[in-house]
Amino acid sequence: MVSSKNRILQIAVVFLRVALGGIFIYAGYVKLVEPWQLFAAGIADYEVVPMWAAKLLAHTLPWFEVLVGLLLIAGRWLRTCTVSTSLLLLVFVGLMVRAFAGGKEINCGCFGPNELISWKTLVRDGAMLAVSLFLTAIAFRHRRKPA
Amino acid sequence: MKILALFLAALLPCLAAGPDVGKGRTMGDPAAPMLFELYSDFVCPGCKHLHENVLPAIILDYAKTGKAYLVFREFPLNIPAHVYARPAAAFAVAAAHIGKYRTVSDALFRNQQSWGLSGKVWETVASVLTPEEQKMVRALATDPAVLAEVQRDVDRGTKAALTQTPTVMITYKLKQQPWTQFGDYSLFRGYIDGLLKK
Repeated sequence: MVSSKNRILQIAVVFLRVALGGIFIYAGYVKLVEPWQLFAAGIADYEVVPMWAAKLLAHTLPWFEVLVGLLLIAGRWLRTCTVSTSLLLLVFVGLMVRAFAGGKEINCGCFGPNELISWKTLVRDGAMLAVSLFLTAIAFRHRRKPA
Repeated sequence: MKILALFLAALLPCLAAGPDVGKGRTMGDPAAPMLFELYSDFVCPGCKHLHENVLPAIILDYAKTGKAYLVFREFPLNIPAHVYARPAAAFAVAAAHIGKYRTVSDALFRNQQSWGLSGKVWETVASVLTPEEQKMVRALATDPAVLAEVQRDVDRGTKAALTQTPTVMITYKLKQQPWTQFGDYSLFRGYIDGLLKK
């Protein structure tokens, strides 16, 4: 029998999973509807990868975001999925903090063009990272101790 | 309704360029479907790179082919390292009034490192002008109307939330998009050509 505390946790996990999945699908979608060159330029502005890699990422990353978003909502391959989103968000937040601390006034590139990195974007993506890490921990805990 | 939208879209580049910029700081056909407003700071190294390595291709591919109307706008950054950027912009705008904008801006970018440090902006400008032109440019550079022209560009860029130079503000079909990445021209060209096909 599932205790009420566990039930609330289960509901919260499903809610967060669907919310994070939805956000990832949206993030991928807005990049896919814009010309890919805008996202490539946004990646290049961070000055961490060469231009060829920025172009490759601009072509592939939005599809990957949509895929992990769909898998999160569907609840399939959760461990792989949550680890992927956590790693992605860790990289995104790390790069944003680096750019912000370095005084770069560049676009975040999170949800399409024309959104400058700011405290708001850092807090928002940081919160998403926290949720993703929580879901990763839950996914691995459930693996060890099946409910 | 569609005709009105098409009319407005066709008119936008002319309206956006506005009467605030004289012909000396423009290039191409004002009726071109696309408007490029190039915001530069004469002290910024990225602007020098754009001016010397990318701009010739932009002019050849878009301004000379009638695909885009190019407007040069001044955006001297208000930071200590760019203390001579505004006087340089004033000289360039003054030179535009006598049809010498490109000549002066070429000289300013070519010698950016020397006058950017020494502050010998006038000497750089004067070196590419005849004595008669020098007199006119020197007088115009302190003219309140010319100074106001520079300020109008700055205000326009600030209003458009420009954060860096160089920025090309692309206006096409009532939509504006700033472009700041000029490390690889093919990326810019791919984006513009894609828009023009729409």
